[in-house]
Amino acid sequence: MLGGGVIIGIIAILHVFVSHFAVGGGLFLPLTERKAYRENNHELLEYVKTHSTFFVLLVLVFGAVSGVGIWWSIGLVNPEATATLIHIFVWGWAIEWVFFLVEIAAAFIYYYGWDRLDRKTHLLVGWIYFAAAWLSLFVINGILAFMLTPGRWIESPGFWSAFFNPSMLPSCVVRTAVSVALAGVYGLVTAATIRDVALRIDVVRYAAKWVLLGTLVIPPAGLWYVSTLPTLAREISMGAAPAVTIFAGLSIFFSVLVVTFTYFGPYQHPRYFNLTFAFVIAVLALSTTGVTEWVREAVRKPYIIYDYMYANTLRVADVERVRQQGVLKSARWVRNHEIDPGKLVQGGQEVFRVQCASCHTVDGYNSIRFAVKGWSLEMIEYQLLHLNELKGFMPPFVGTDAERRALARWLQSLNPQPMMLEPTHPGVKAESQATDAPEATKP
Amino acid sequence: MNPVIPAPVPIPLPAPAWLVQLLLVFTSILHFLPMNLLVGGTVILTVSSYLGRRDPRHRDLARRAARVMPPVVAFTITFGVAPLLFLQLLYGQLFYTSSVLMAWSWLAVVPLLMLGYYGIYWFNLQQEELGPRAFWVMLLASLFFLHIMKIFTQNMSLLERPQEFYPRFLAGTVGTYLGLSDLVTFARLTHFFVASVAVAGLGLALLARAWLEEAPELAAWARRYGTRWFMAGTGVQFLVGVWFLFSLPPEIRNPFLGADRLATAILAVAVLLAVLAMVAAPKSLAASALAIAGTISLMAVVRHLVRIARLQPYFDPRTLPVEGQWTVFAIFAVLLVAGLATVAWMLYQFFRPAVSRASSG
Repeated sequence: MLGGGVIIGIIAILHVFVSHFAVGGGLFLPLTERKAYRENNHELLEYVKTHSTFFVLLVLVFGAVSGVGIWWSIGLVNPEATATLIHIFVWGWAIEWVFFLVEIAAAFIYYYGWDRLDRKTHLLVGWIYFAAAWLSLFVINGILAFMLTPGRWIESPGFWSAFFNPSMLPSCVVRTAVSVALAGVYGLVTAATIRDVALRIDVVRYAAKWVLLGTLVIPPAGLWYVSTLPTLAREISMGAAPAVTIFAGLSIFFSVLVVTFTYFGPYQHPRYFNLTFAFVIAVLALSTTGVTEWVREAVRKPYIIYDYMYANTLRVADVERVRQQGVLKSARWVRNHEIDPGKLVQGGQEVFRVQCASCHTVDGYNSIRFAVKGWSLEMIEYQLLHLNELKGFMPPFVGTDAERRALARWLQSLNPQPMMLEPTHPGVKAESQATDAPEATKP
Repeated sequence: MNPVIPAPVPIPLPAPAWLVQLLLVFTSILHFLPMNLLVGGTVILTVSSYLGRRDPRHRDLARRAARVMPPVVAFTITFGVAPLLFLQLLYGQLFYTSSVLMAWSWLAVVPLLMLGYYGIYWFNLQQEELGPRAFWVMLLASLFFLHIMKIFTQNMSLLERPQEFYPRFLAGTVGTYLGLSDLVTFARLTHFFVASVAVAGLGLALLARAWLEEAPELAAWARRYGTRWFMAGTGVQFLVGVWFLFSLPPEIRNPFLGADRLATAILAVAVLLAVLAMVAAPKSLAASALAIAGTISLMAVVRHLVRIARLQPYFDPRTLPVEGQWTVFAIFAVLLVAGLATVAWMLYQFFRPAVSRASSG
């Protein structure tokens, strides 16, 4: 029902929301600690300690485990793309693993070291944490950006051409700015719980500045990022695919709300700020993260690795071969490698599973039954023939004529419509109902 | 019928297979050490928090020992990432297929891990408030971690049996494989479980040394108590290990029983070190720990040899094309050394005596 993409999406959005805090919070902690030392502010120092507990419980557990969760889900849903990325970037990931190791060790020593380390060393451990966390973002960002803008790698494969891809740098700036803003958002949440009124006002205003500063950088860096995207990706987000355009609009809308609420709330009137208000800002920030990441994923369509691998894991270079040979013959996890003319609908269902099921479910998310509702067999066949031209965010249908016809029959069998079909294709309905109707209802 | 195995991706390996295999085994050892402490540790803590309802020594032991568990979980995860990365590079097409066959179970690792991890923090931070209920929290956490161990054992076993992939696909059971009927996997799981309890017992005995100043009586008792877990676990392991070895098909088992000198020697030294660890335990915990670390390391090599042997009829990663990314590899190697040095420095700062800290701070 859910579809693999949704599972990845849910885990990824929550992970992004926490992992960016892992980076920004890593800057927030030592800077605030230093501020407390400089101002000789004991209460502020106590706040930083409380914040560090919250930080560790959220980042080390949820942040780390949800990161593992993304890896788990992409391996299950899109093994071919995951394997490709690992072959290109294994040493990048290994480097990121070293940073992750230092990050985890530093986080524990920072957290357990409040009473064991002298001030200077404790601060230094905080800085080590931040450096490792940011560097780990730097590496992962390069790999993520590669999927959307592989750039020179397509012509000259190699690690460096893949890593230093066109959108890598602007994306890194955007993510760093987001990290700073999110550090402020989480800071607002813990600041709202401070009992001492004077201190609360101070910290609330201080955390609000982080949100405003971070979000100030996002629009210009975001424009820079968008300017590096492939034309089709820009078009998809700006009108070509209405759902994506709406989400892109929502991303801007939620961001504006975060800034407005933060400016007129905690920044202008820190005295009246409370935990409920903090949660409202956090939920708005989570919504911004959610829709923005969704748009970033959506504009990559029809590819999973741009210009190299389609969203259904078919390599662009393999299209011609598969078209001639047939998708069932090229696939391993099928019951039959050829279409049996007597069992067109079963064959079509198998073609669907191999070529379409990475994005579509039958009845759940991105339901194919719903997508073809009311379509005649001719309409379905026409759509399949010109899939990538009619829907720019979809890959072309790749397979033999027999496979395409079988898929069309199966798609048509999902919504039996006797009135529409009988005049032109008297045999179709009878055949599909007699032999395959129960099959077609299986997801 | 030839088994259906997906083709490896058409991109050359970024380093020769032997190097990746070396890193796979090395990082697996790094993972196994904290993993044993974690799984066995939660079992011992569960027992102690149950007995601790009546026996204050057990209550005190559980309270103190639980403090080290959050970093143990964190390093089990962190050290687990690297071997899984190298495994995917070499055996990706097998690993992804076995993972998909048991998809729901495999995906369950994520929530189980998160719940178990938070359970350990809960136990730590609110033990007083939890009172007798602390036992239930630790019991659940330990069951979650044991279940994760079971899922991992199943996946790592299934990926070595590609001949089962296509029949399972045809049977329409994609995503729901539970592997309950496979005896080898069960023997393997029992072997890992017993090992983890033994290693965690030794870990507890070692940890108790840190309590000598604050609670000398408890420390002495905890040392004996931990050592008992270690002795019992390692003793039982001699039986379980033999069972596991003989549950393997003869063509996999025989190389370790004389047919291959190197394989036999590795297994023999691993067993010998375990015996030495038992002998040394009452006198020198450090020597015992060193010996058992040797056993774990050699057993990781044995495990890899078994994998190679079981996959030999179907796939050998040494046949894959290679195009070394040596510059990036060099950067990784340098950063690994620098990273470990940084961690060592931070640990030194953390553990050095308070007196020297005070004088420099």
